[in-house]
Amino acid sequence: MSLATPTHSAESAHLSRAQIAQFEIEVNAIRDSVMNNLGQADVDHIRNMIRICRASEIGGRALLHFGIGPLSWIAGVLALASAKILDNMEIGHNVMHGQYDWTGDPSLNSQKFEWDIACDGEQWRHSHNVMHHTYTNILGKDRDLGYSLLRMTDAQKWKPRHWFQPIANLLLAAGFQYGVGSHDLEIGRYKHGGMPKEEFKGRLDRFVGKVKKQWFKDYLLFPALALWSAPRVLAGNFLANLIRNLWTYVIIFCGHFTEGVAIYREEDCRNETKGDWYLRQLSGSSNLTGGRFFHIMSGHLSHQIEHHLFPDMPAHRYTEIAPQVQALCRRYGLFYNTGSLFKQYLAVMKRILTHTLPPKRAVA
Amino acid sequence: MPHTFVPLSTHRSGWVQSFAAPVTRVLQHPWVESIVRLSAVEASLQVLHPLLSLTEVRARVVKVVDETPSTKTFVLQPNALWEGAQAGQFVQVRQEINGRRVQRMYSLSSRPGARRIAFTVKRQSGGQVSNHMHDHVKVGDVLTISQAMGEFVLPDAHFNFLPAKMLLLSGGSGITPVMAMLRSLQAQGYRGDVTFVHVCRAHGDLIFASTLKDLAARWPALRLILHFDASQGRFTADTLLHLVPDLHERSTWLCGPSGLMEAVHQLWIDHAIAAPLQSERFVAFALLPAAAPGTPVQVRFITSQRGFTTQGAAPLLVQAEQAGLNPKHGCRIGICRSCQCVKTSGTVENLQTGALSSVPNELIRLCITAARSDVTLDL
Repeated sequence: MSLATPTHSAESAHLSRAQIAQFEIEVNAIRDSVMNNLGQADVDHIRNMIRICRASEIGGRALLHFGIGPLSWIAGVLALASAKILDNMEIGHNVMHGQYDWTGDPSLNSQKFEWDIACDGEQWRHSHNVMHHTYTNILGKDRDLGYSLLRMTDAQKWKPRHWFQPIANLLLAAGFQYGVGSHDLEIGRYKHGGMPKEEFKGRLDRFVGKVKKQWFKDYLLFPALALWSAPRVLAGNFLANLIRNLWTYVIIFCGHFTEGVAIYREEDCRNETKGDWYLRQLSGSSNLTGGRFFHIMSGHLSHQIEHHLFPDMPAHRYTEIAPQVQALCRRYGLFYNTGSLFKQYLAVMKRILTHTLPPKRAVA
Repeated sequence: MPHTFVPLSTHRSGWVQSFAAPVTRVLQHPWVESIVRLSAVEASLQVLHPLLSLTEVRARVVKVVDETPSTKTFVLQPNALWEGAQAGQFVQVRQEINGRRVQRMYSLSSRPGARRIAFTVKRQSGGQVSNHMHDHVKVGDVLTISQAMGEFVLPDAHFNFLPAKMLLLSGGSGITPVMAMLRSLQAQGYRGDVTFVHVCRAHGDLIFASTLKDLAARWPALRLILHFDASQGRFTADTLLHLVPDLHERSTWLCGPSGLMEAVHQLWIDHAIAAPLQSERFVAFALLPAAAPGTPVQVRFITSQRGFTTQGAAPLLVQAEQAGLNPKHGCRIGICRSCQCVKTSGTVENLQTGALSSVPNELIRLCITAARSDVTLDL
């Protein structure tokens, strides 16, 4: 293997350059089979999701405002949480990836979309679409690796603060929208002098601006409109946001931090071909099994592998190509990481807890 | 001698416009938009009534007329946001075909100020939009259209000025804007001298045949000349000189296929005709031939008014950077879409798929797209 060739994790190390080139062609063929027949059904799907999301939000807020008794409150919370989950996962995340840019509909334009979460759309497009999807699981480049908070691999240096990792994990889960929202601030880089103050200030203002808007809506305007029901609405909105936070956290952590997910070093990924890139996306992602409802509520991130191979393919198509991708992996002897939500999240927890402990010193 | 005519209001501005514009502005405010999106309001309005909108002119098809075997006229009733048109202007008609938005320009043939508007669509072989219009658009459907656009118009009614002698000259489906002009002149009681020359293949291809007959019957001063290539031979500059010997005394409006347009423009040059000639070209959308790799091409950024000349197959992003420009970008490998922008015209190659495309106003990613002809970008 020449020096210019990127080294790969154990799973793909057995492939020759020719095999990787062939793999690239076959993955491209799967991509083209879908992208060449996008049409009305795809637009209908996303518009349908948007309609359900709006109806769910209106219904949820109405139940919180005008409902009587605890049952209507719970129903309102669940409806509002579902609306926020749909908006963030199946609609916002996918639209902002450009999955529907081909329609030419400005309300589905990736670069202009804004969503119902404390994370500013433009900052998301940078931290997620640019950094995470390009440099997936490359240590020091993909800042989704532990969100600069958690130690997820032995390659990350252990520090005493990692003793608190299980608690930090809980806090991140509960306030996930703020974790995602502040992600693009790159506080660590700023503190170490890697970012000019003005740039940091600009990013901070944008983040704070978005948080203010979200707080104004959920914790001021709607409670105020409810008059004497204000506490009921405030609590309901808070719980709906919390449910959304926990759900999105679980789904997203199961996408990259399960067992057997490969971590890369920057020097491994220089001179990558598209085939190498595909292999890295594949070995850096893990799927979740479930039914149609589960896939939609996870924004089809339950098909994280397919999503990372084809981030701009309308996500509801992932279920259709997953068997092909899985068959391809079998033929190339590659690990297709999939499992139930329970099994995968258990693996994530194990990983978080394992890396809480300092590495054992090598025996001299 | 300048001719005075009755100004007809072509620009309507009702209470709906004065209501819709400020409401839209409020809805577009970031603080309001984070609570309720404009697109959600628009969708809800559309559920209430398909013509209801704060931002878009929507028009219901009220009549479809088979003009000739290959042309249909669509008569539409626009909603209250429609601001009216001047004679000769066109609208952009937007439709969604198989999930994709497509837009085409059509000249209006209706009289300015009329409550209903009309345009005529010629079926193009292989034309996605024209075939869709012919096969699927029916009475009761709602289309979204732009406000009227275009400079190919009769002088503004507000100046109360029209030339005393006019020549209107059209070929094929180029008759549509000229029809609007004729209707406008007639409705406003224009008493000057109008000659209208129309060229088409045969009588069976004549659009507005019965309307023209009516018009000529009610307007004796109109000199109507129809030329059919199939029976009377090819229409040339000489034919025109023969039919209208006092060309140089007339203000001329010309609309038709390229061949006719070029011939007439050449005639004006050859005979050094000083009388004004206004023209509009109908361009059927076609794949522009891709320049061979290595041919120098011009890339223009229309918003920032910058540009560069380049050659070679490198992505536009790299070429722009080499030319000292710095368009927004991210991953540089076609994933993140940070460098996505609208290509308003030109042929480009998608370097990932090798696909060539000349579709106007399409989204491209600079980092995986190469120019294969002169290209303009909305940057």
